[in-house]
Amino acid sequence: MHKIWAVIRREFVERVRTRAFLLSTILFPVFMAAMVVIPGLLMSRSTGTQRLAVVDATTDELGQRMTSTLEAARIGKGEEAPSRYTVTRFPAVGRAITVRDSLLPVTGRSRKAEGGYEGILVISDSTVTSGKAYYYGANVASFDDMRELEQTLRPMVIARRLEGMGVDLGQVMQAVKGIDLETGKVADGKLTGESGAATFALAYAMGLILYISLLIFGNQVMMSIIEEKNNRIVEILASSLTPFQMMLGKVVGVGLVALLQIGIWAGAATFFSANQQKILGGMGVSASGPMAFAVPSMSPGLLMVFLVFFSLGFLLFAAAYAAVGAMCSTTQDASQMQMPVMMFVLVGFFSVFALIRDPNGTAAHVLSFVPMLTPFVIPMRYSISPLPPLELGTAILVTVAGMLAIVWLASRIYRVGILSYGKKASVRDMVRWIRTA
Amino acid sequence: MSSSVVKVDNVTKRFSGHTAVDQLSLDVPGGGIFGLLGPNGAGKSTTIRMIMNIITADEGKISVLGGESSRDLSGRIGYLPEERGLYKKMKILDQLTFFGEAKGIHRKTARAKATEWLAKLGISDWALKKVEDLSKGMQQKVQFIGALLHEPDLVILDEPFSGLDPVNSQVMKDVVVDLARQGKTVLFSTHIMEQAEKMCDRIVIISRGKKVVDGSLAEVKREFGGRHVALTFTRHADRAARVLADRSLVAKVDDYGATAECELAETGDADRLLRTLVQEDVGLARFEVVEASLQSIFIAKVGIEAATAPAKETVHA
Repeated sequence: MHKIWAVIRREFVERVRTRAFLLSTILFPVFMAAMVVIPGLLMSRSTGTQRLAVVDATTDELGQRMTSTLEAARIGKGEEAPSRYTVTRFPAVGRAITVRDSLLPVTGRSRKAEGGYEGILVISDSTVTSGKAYYYGANVASFDDMRELEQTLRPMVIARRLEGMGVDLGQVMQAVKGIDLETGKVADGKLTGESGAATFALAYAMGLILYISLLIFGNQVMMSIIEEKNNRIVEILASSLTPFQMMLGKVVGVGLVALLQIGIWAGAATFFSANQQKILGGMGVSASGPMAFAVPSMSPGLLMVFLVFFSLGFLLFAAAYAAVGAMCSTTQDASQMQMPVMMFVLVGFFSVFALIRDPNGTAAHVLSFVPMLTPFVIPMRYSISPLPPLELGTAILVTVAGMLAIVWLASRIYRVGILSYGKKASVRDMVRWIRTA
Repeated sequence: MSSSVVKVDNVTKRFSGHTAVDQLSLDVPGGGIFGLLGPNGAGKSTTIRMIMNIITADEGKISVLGGESSRDLSGRIGYLPEERGLYKKMKILDQLTFFGEAKGIHRKTARAKATEWLAKLGISDWALKKVEDLSKGMQQKVQFIGALLHEPDLVILDEPFSGLDPVNSQVMKDVVVDLARQGKTVLFSTHIMEQAEKMCDRIVIISRGKKVVDGSLAEVKREFGGRHVALTFTRHADRAARVLADRSLVAKVDDYGATAECELAETGDADRLLRTLVQEDVGLARFEVVEASLQSIFIAKVGIEAATAPAKETVHA
């Protein structure tokens, strides 16, 4: 036991001390935060007030009404929000093209430049009849700008048409009002206060964390075994430790590093989400709408289930990665040989998506008893509705049994593999190694 | 001398197609320095790895310190593998502490011992440096410490002196001799005969996986017999070579240019050789009737083509 601790400590301490660990620990939350903040920053910049020239070729008051509608449009909500457009109207009945052409030299300037217009909107009587309006500007590729403009104009045009048909706009709006489905999750016969989106996000996040950890840290286990083989330190280790001690120490040590890193990230995410108003406010970005970011809360029961299955899953897959590492002498060989292990990781991860629609269906029940997949499937199912204790217990037993079987197989491969150099092992070698007493 | 510490009994190991070790038996008694000698590829490292239970023998039995598996007794054995390996990114002191812990001694003790050894070998200043910053010789010292810091009863060193400069070689040699003086058993392999001759109490020479010589150094020399003369001449090497090529006088020559070791022929005697050499005016600086050197025994037993030690050429008249 003492020796395994020594190996675990070495793996943990040496890994945590590396610059790579520090960088990835810091950069990942920075990256995540950037994903939230940067679109917000970009959006707030692109929604400055635009100077618009309206070339009005309409023969009635439509052009006037449209101009005032545009002038009334605001960025964001509330009366004090800045205007979306400053509009200059050019009456141009019968000579829309001439007026447009005369405006072109002062159009398409950058927003910061003085004078001129960012775009020209050409409307005519046919805007109502055929729904055609024309826009000329440098920002025509901006999907958001164009959509914004369309949305501002559309109700006006529709209202105008309805008026023509003698229908009251107010009544129509009343009639076409949609319904808004508010969701609330029921678990254990109680309302949990979680929405459907939050439930999905949580189930997805748990699968993603396991998936990423396995890919990153499973690979690290594999690579460090190949490194130990290549610099032959493995001979010194093998003369002092049993292969089982070496392998288990490494897998657990690396696993603890993974847990530490995820813990730091989860902590950072929770902190950020709790204080995002302050943080974003400090950066001059409003924390509303699409940028709102919330860490789904986890019940203690779910957290336990997740940690149990994360640990079991990590041990199971990391042991498999260790066996692959022991079978190879070069990283190139390893990237080929790890494919079967990776397949299971992928299948597990994607089964979360497949099963989330029907978490208590037959497929979900069956996959809950496949040891390689349970670490993905069970936390997902549990997050949607807690499993009966019997089913949960059985799933844990199955996973533990599968984990032990894989660790046992892996340690037998590892035992022979770590001291075999040269070409990578074949499946036949592998079977022979497992059978060697 | 106590009973045997390492016993290798009729052990055979085959690697795809060739037999690396062929029915080899060794008996390493407790205490003293045991040399496992042989040319490159003779099976020395394979034998040592089997003793260390890193690879398993195809046939035969090995017992170490009275047990079957050396790993169970790893705390009493120190091992320096031929293929040196250290964690490159780890600090020296941490690395040595880990090696100690892997051998089952307590963390604090391991740290204290490591510090002590680093001071003894004069590399204390490097204790907190990473392995990758060290020269090869220093890395070898670190590994050497790794094999010894848990105070093993049996120390197995695979080519401990290869790649070391004379000064470091001397330091390591002193440590090894000191261990033997403390009653520890040292088993080491080498193909450098001068070293083995100066240090070993007992030797085994293997060639192509088979044992060719076994016994105490004195026994081996006595058995090999012959009358040998060690010579050093200071001029007219060509004339000296001509004298030594006389097969009625000299049976065999191991010529190093300025020095030579020769075995007298049945018909020759030392007096006549001395007279002839003086006549030829070769400026004799040394003329000594000696026992055969391990080098010449090695070459005679292993065969000149298999030997890798320097100066293999004989003189052609």
